[in-house]
Amino acid sequence: MATDLRISNISKIYPGCIANDNVTLQFKSGKIYALLGENGAGKSTLVKILSGVVSPDNGEVFLNEKNLKLSSPLDAKKNKIGMVFQHFNLFETLSVFENLSIDATEDNKSLRVRINEIFKKYNFSIDLDVPVLNLSAGQKQKVEIIRCLLRSPKVLIMDEPTSVLTEQETEELFISLKKFCDEGILIIYITHKLKEVLSLCDEVAVMRKGKVVSVSQTQNEKVETLANKMVGQKLAKIKKKINISKNKDEIFKVKHLNFYSDDPFETNLVNLNFSVKKGECLGIAGISGNGQNELFQILSGEIITPDTSIIFRNKEIAKLNPKQRREYLMAFSPEDRISQAAVPELKIYENVALNNFKSSNFFEKGLVNERKIKEHSKKILSDFSVNTDNVELKSQFLSGGNLQKLILGRELITAPELLICYNPTWGLDVGAINYIHETLIKINDQEKSTILISTDTEELLKLSDRIAVIYKGKLSKIMPSEEVTPEKLGVLMGGGSID
Amino acid sequence: MSLDISFIGILIGSIMASSVPLILAASGELITERSGVLNLGVEGMMIIGAISGFALMVITDNLFIAIVGSMFSGVIISLIFGFLTQSLLTNHVATGLALTIFGIGLSAMLGKNFVGIPGKEFPILFSSLRESIPFFGPILFGHSIVLYFAFALPFLTNYFLKKTKLGLVVRAVGDSPVSASNQGINVTLVRYCCILYGGAMCGLAGAYLSLIYTPQWIENMTAGRGWIALALVVFATWSPIKVLIGALIFGGITILQLHMQAIGFRIPVQFLSALPYLMTIIVLVVISRDSRKIKLNTPSSLGRIFYKEK
Repeated sequence: MATDLRISNISKIYPGCIANDNVTLQFKSGKIYALLGENGAGKSTLVKILSGVVSPDNGEVFLNEKNLKLSSPLDAKKNKIGMVFQHFNLFETLSVFENLSIDATEDNKSLRVRINEIFKKYNFSIDLDVPVLNLSAGQKQKVEIIRCLLRSPKVLIMDEPTSVLTEQETEELFISLKKFCDEGILIIYITHKLKEVLSLCDEVAVMRKGKVVSVSQTQNEKVETLANKMVGQKLAKIKKKINISKNKDEIFKVKHLNFYSDDPFETNLVNLNFSVKKGECLGIAGISGNGQNELFQILSGEIITPDTSIIFRNKEIAKLNPKQRREYLMAFSPEDRISQAAVPELKIYENVALNNFKSSNFFEKGLVNERKIKEHSKKILSDFSVNTDNVELKSQFLSGGNLQKLILGRELITAPELLICYNPTWGLDVGAINYIHETLIKINDQEKSTILISTDTEELLKLSDRIAVIYKGKLSKIMPSEEVTPEKLGVLMGGGSID
Repeated sequence: MSLDISFIGILIGSIMASSVPLILAASGELITERSGVLNLGVEGMMIIGAISGFALMVITDNLFIAIVGSMFSGVIISLIFGFLTQSLLTNHVATGLALTIFGIGLSAMLGKNFVGIPGKEFPILFSSLRESIPFFGPILFGHSIVLYFAFALPFLTNYFLKKTKLGLVVRAVGDSPVSASNQGINVTLVRYCCILYGGAMCGLAGAYLSLIYTPQWIENMTAGRGWIALALVVFATWSPIKVLIGALIFGGITILQLHMQAIGFRIPVQFLSALPYLMTIIVLVVISRDSRKIKLNTPSSLGRIFYKEK
């Protein structure tokens, strides 16, 4: 039976922000629909309304011409609307089976039979009796999807499903989604990743600042046209001039970096040796979980390893902690903005003060010099075009892009000689990515160096002067980036060899 | 004093009796905490249960009404906690502490007229078997019905949490209230029920003290047992069966301390009274070594306030 979902004049206003402004959209089964927009464009709010988590101020939802009252998640369930949230809605300490049985109406035995049928049909395989916290992100997502499928949904909504997946897992997900679509499930796919829209979806609606700005067939669209619609202005194309002067000084040199851990969730690093020249960007590629985390923490001084030699500006710094390394003009931007780079509950200026130097005089005789920190923070906000000038705002209310700008600003305002960043544009929208890329290129233009650890090959090819690949804790040889192609990187990242 | 076999039987029987209030209160608190609510008011709820049970017994001369009434008063006082933490979203820790202070004060006030009144004898079951079978008699027979209930309770609680749908819902709410809410579970309602159940069990634990264990009303007669029950839940890593074991150990320490004093053993009483807490700390240190295990057993949302999106 065909499904027809219609959203009519939905509005939702939060204090100080119009999340959805008169949104009207129509979806029909047999197609995969993309809902595209930057962070904060109102996609997630719309989806929460469809799944009954929040109720709209205005507007109606029709499923097969029936007006739905979605005042709680139960209503969405009853009306066969399934939803896979961006942040998983699973119970980590319960087993996979318990997670699936919690809202089942049948007895456990027949539920197991049905789950195994789904496993067979879609080629899934997950141990039902392990606690969810033992699963990988991709497996957790499958549990969420199975939970929806158990209720034989008419509509399946996926909110930014690939943000936590590896490339392999993403491919598997796309295959499953296409199968669901062929079986008549209406799929709404929410994302800010343009390529996914083009490769997976049939129709795309673009949202900007709470409004739907365009609805079109994806076959008529290209990455550029979609990006411009999404951002609302023409995006400048960034290309870096590669910088290969061989006779520049080496500013940073790592020798014999070894790391060994008993924790099965950590990767051992085996004899890493590399160096970075002045004004150069060294890219380190790799699929996540191949030792990038450990490498970043060793470079930043969070982990001190014995026998490693790190020379920075002709000084041995391998035994220094992050604060001391910062004093030597190194700067760090970790992968996880919320839990590693900033404290979300603290105000902007307090987060800025966390990065204090002897020279910055943020603290006098043990007291906080609030005026000074605030002035300093205001300068960061304006210099790095963060979308607010209120330094009293709690950092958790900044969008991902603005928070990343704040963090980079905090690190860069002291004019460090070397910036080490790990996935600086992870989960950001095109506008913010562009800004961050421009900033990183600017640093190199000013003869400062960067080490860019990233899982995004496109970003690495765009920004790096030389690239190496990390695989299972080992570093490939370092190649000038004009010799590197995405295919070559792909082979190395998968553990192959190109010689 | 000889350590013959019948004496050991009597000793074990008295250890069991002294562990009853701990089992009851800790089992109740365990359900509350499993739903993600940290109620530090156990001591307060117990003492309210103790005075209301005793007062009702004196007034109505009916032990059944006294027992049910003590549970009901536990429900009422935990309802205050539930309303504050779940409806007005106050901090669990501060509210729980206030509840204890309030309970101790209120019970002292209510109990003024009941000091010195002798209690009523509580009926014991199978008293003839107690005398006739050596060793096992004093262990298995001659106890009040509340004791048998208390020893069954951890197993019932375990069955409830592990095997029933409602138990699964309680664990799910304690694990992630946001996910539970998005699955259409009424988190606030589930937590209210768990808080009230915890209150009823604490009330019963109090009544056991004032009606059965030492049948009289003495001001502040719970004497820190509520705090031990709270420690016990953590000690047991939120597992009902381990609550039973822990309660017997802690109850045993209390009894041994009395006997040691009688023998004239030179260990300061204060040290023995501190033992349960010391053991809790030691156990915590030991289990904390395995972070996965502690994560699997601890209700992740314990003590955190749940805001529903509107």
